[in-house]
Amino acid sequence: MDDQGCPRCKTTKYRNPSLKLMVNVCGHTLCENCVEMLFVRGSGNCVQCDTPLRKSNFRVQLFEDPTVDKEVEIRKKVLKIYNKRDFDFPSLREYNDYLEQVEDIVFNLTNNIDVENTKLRMEQYQRENRDIIQKNKAKLTREQEELEELLLLEQQGNEQRRLEALQEEQRQLQAKKKNKQALLDELEQSQLPATILLAQHKVRAAQLETQIEQQKQAVKPTNLFSTGIQMRQTVSLQPVPRIEEVLYHYKPLQVETYGPRVPELEQLGRLGTHGDSSTTGDLSWTQPSSETGELS
Amino acid sequence: MKLNIEGLLVYFPYDYIYPEQYSYMLELKRTLDAKGHGVLEMPSGTGKTISLLSLIVAYQRVSSAFPLDVTKLIYCSRTVPEIEKVVEELRKLMEFYAKETGERNNFLALALSSRKNLCIHPEVSSLRFGKEVDGKCHSLTASYIRAQRHVNPNQPVCRFYEEFDAVGRQVPLPAGIYNLDDLKDFGRRKGWCPYYLARYAILHANIVVYSYHYLLDPKIADLVSKELAKKSVVVFDEAHNIDNVCIDSMSVNITRRTLDRCQNNVDTLQNTIQKIKETDAAKLREEYRRLVEGLKEANVARETDIYLSNPVLPDEILKEAVPGTIRTAEHFVGFLRRFLEYLKSRLRVHHVVQESAPQFLKDIFDKVCIDRKPLRFCAERLQSLLRTLEIADIADFSAVTLISNFATLVSTYSQGFTIIIEPFEDRTPTIANPVLHFSCMDPSIAIKPVFQRFQSVIITSGTLSPLDIYPRILDFRPVTMASFTMTLNTFNVCLCLVALSSKFETREDFAVIRNYGNLLLEMSAVVPDGIVAFFTSYVYMENIVASWYEQGILENIQRNKLIFIETQDAAETSMALEKYQEACENGRGAILLSVARGKVSEGIDFVHHFGRAVIMFGVPYVYTQSRILKARLEYLRDQFQIRENDFLTFDAMRHAAQCVGRAIRGKTDYGLMIFADKRYARADKRGKLPRWIQEHINDGSLNLTVDETVQLSKHFLRQMAQPFRQEDQLGLSLLTLEQLESEEMLQKITQIAHQT
Repeated sequence: MDDQGCPRCKTTKYRNPSLKLMVNVCGHTLCENCVEMLFVRGSGNCVQCDTPLRKSNFRVQLFEDPTVDKEVEIRKKVLKIYNKRDFDFPSLREYNDYLEQVEDIVFNLTNNIDVENTKLRMEQYQRENRDIIQKNKAKLTREQEELEELLLLEQQGNEQRRLEALQEEQRQLQAKKKNKQALLDELEQSQLPATILLAQHKVRAAQLETQIEQQKQAVKPTNLFSTGIQMRQTVSLQPVPRIEEVLYHYKPLQVETYGPRVPELEQLGRLGTHGDSSTTGDLSWTQPSSETGELS
Repeated sequence: MKLNIEGLLVYFPYDYIYPEQYSYMLELKRTLDAKGHGVLEMPSGTGKTISLLSLIVAYQRVSSAFPLDVTKLIYCSRTVPEIEKVVEELRKLMEFYAKETGERNNFLALALSSRKNLCIHPEVSSLRFGKEVDGKCHSLTASYIRAQRHVNPNQPVCRFYEEFDAVGRQVPLPAGIYNLDDLKDFGRRKGWCPYYLARYAILHANIVVYSYHYLLDPKIADLVSKELAKKSVVVFDEAHNIDNVCIDSMSVNITRRTLDRCQNNVDTLQNTIQKIKETDAAKLREEYRRLVEGLKEANVARETDIYLSNPVLPDEILKEAVPGTIRTAEHFVGFLRRFLEYLKSRLRVHHVVQESAPQFLKDIFDKVCIDRKPLRFCAERLQSLLRTLEIADIADFSAVTLISNFATLVSTYSQGFTIIIEPFEDRTPTIANPVLHFSCMDPSIAIKPVFQRFQSVIITSGTLSPLDIYPRILDFRPVTMASFTMTLNTFNVCLCLVALSSKFETREDFAVIRNYGNLLLEMSAVVPDGIVAFFTSYVYMENIVASWYEQGILENIQRNKLIFIETQDAAETSMALEKYQEACENGRGAILLSVARGKVSEGIDFVHHFGRAVIMFGVPYVYTQSRILKARLEYLRDQFQIRENDFLTFDAMRHAAQCVGRAIRGKTDYGLMIFADKRYARADKRGKLPRWIQEHINDGSLNLTVDETVQLSKHFLRQMAQPFRQEDQLGLSLLTLEQLESEEMLQKITQIAHQT
């Protein structure tokens, strides 16, 4: 980082630690002194690329790579115009295409590719979409909204914690004050000798002190793990009772039909299916039984 | 021996069993029966691994009778030696099965490790670093490289992978137990790539042994463990550090150097895109078409295309199309460039910044107009681009991958993460070394998929106390939580709490340092063989050793024993360790000075004479000023109602227990444990030590002086030095089957498990 320097006067950060480098829209650096000198009249040309520049457009260089400074500048400008949000598009695919298009424009402008056309495109877009641009100016993208929300939550949490600590402190102070006041009152009214009262007070103060100490240590217990399970829930250490069951064993079913004899399976195909109730009954249990037979 | 554990027939490959092992298996079985998760603590050296394995294998064997039970065991350990140890135990168990039942069972068990440990390609395997091996392997096996070979036969490919791809998938790996070497041998014999073979085989193996990262690191887990069966039991062994593993796997640190390398990556990308556009524009158009259709299709990658890193993405993102802003390659590179420049500008801070993910997102939109949605797709988009550009060596692109992962994570999670930018390290405030820590504070994010997916998850270690904190920080509901103690016939642990102090304010005190020195000096005269001393940090150790040197204490110690010191350099440390062991083997022994949380405290065992005494100087708190830790503590307090102090003490105690536990690695082992800090005597600290250590703390061993400690240890060591026979142990801490089945013993065993 020390080897950064002004390309014109060759001063480097190493030799002059207070050197301030500036960038203009073209992305070429100059140190502050050179800017003062070259742009006395408020405008002039870039030393390196001859782009006409204004002095008021010079910015302090934030990044080591001046092209990034330039790109960010351009990007901010482009994003002001191209500010459609994801809900302005019917599908994610189209939104992504749009994003890429924006990226293309920024890329072209930064790398000086086809600048004229790109600018024209931008102007045309601006004209066409004036309403949306205006409308979206105040809106944030959904993700930014989420971020803001998170930040807010974080701040609230911090604030709350700070307040709690403060309140706790106050309460303790008050308790101490009350204790002192009680001593004074007793000294005023009580018949006991002062030494005893003082001793009593000392004991009380010590008690208070330990109490405060304990309170400090006792952090509010929450009763939920983040998994939603109650803390301190009694966990049964007994093994899960294994249900001692005899596995299902298939036995061929014997049905007393008191009717005609049930035809065999292979006969069925030959004879065709009958509307006979006994046959259908026969079929309906051959199906599952073959499965259970495999299992057992 | 054959055991009957609540109606389950368990083959146990040894003739004797410890009562606590029986009790452990009992609890484990109940957990599996309930199909729930469990937290089990049992001291090291009591045969945790074999108890686990024999019970779960027995369970798997009967599961053919109960069709909905366990089909697979996933055993996660930390290091390669530990993985190998597990496989060896398993082999023993299987041999026992074969002997007892007389039939070869069709169990398939295998270990899986990185390519570096499994590669048999002559060139690739000779590389030194894991990353290089991965990169080189990828450049030989990626699908497009292999596709190019059809056109250009000179394109080098890995013949082992080709062979495996051609035939390896049809033939399942024959049943048996495979450790890493077995896999390599098998691979060599068949000419198949062992790594891909193992990765393929874990899908139908009965037992898989691998490292934590294969399950917990979302990038690796997505590749390796995605398809493992739901009806698996997952065991995390040595899991006392599991929360840190989870957190590390989700955190990202970005330094200036990362960004510079990333810049180079982006430049290379742009150049490659330019080149491809001139030569083969159709390829880019094809990618573009796919991206328009949606990522789901683009995501169908071949298994070798590991452009790594898929941080837990919600599924709905994968189904949606890539946003238009980063659809074409140039736009995406421009996007990366902007993101990079933004990060660079953020790193140029002069004071510490801490912010939440939403704040970061808002800022990035304001500064460089990057929306949240394209950020969320960044990792996927980069993978797709790298694949399209057919870049062979992905190792070079680790920087840009890291950045894109960061982008995805920061935009996906609005809670549980924090961003801290530090302009310099705390210890060197004059040297600018800006770092952006994107640190995960909620270990449950990384481990949640594991708990959700698998039927039973067992977390076990020698030091898990207090047990109830793990379910809270990992956010799950265990059905069993139990802590077991070591049953011993004699007291072979002597615990001393020495009343010295190393509170932060007093630890630089001259007197404190001298007292510590005296303690070590006296102990070095009394204790035979090895002594291991742990300090709280490297800096503190250096200070103390320097002033011991000035005070002449070191010289005095060296009259008794040699001194070795652990350093931050791994090679140096392993050298010191080797020499330390050599010194313990012959001569008067040695002293190893090391650091809690260091390499020695975590992975090295000091069996028998290698560690007769462990001295813990001070309480090993973490460096509490670190901002990452502070943020995490705050998060724990707000989300889980765990107080800062509780967590810090818990963390310190688990490390202290881990250090001290290094010395006792079995029942015949004995050793002194000395906690040299009076803060250990306080109830809040003592209560957080594991139960097997707590049991040895009695009033007589609290708050001792150095002299008293010496007296106590002399007495203890003389007692322990008497010959020790197995018969003494039998019936008390070692049981035969008959003894185990006696009514009285079963009664006793039920008391071992300490439910919480």
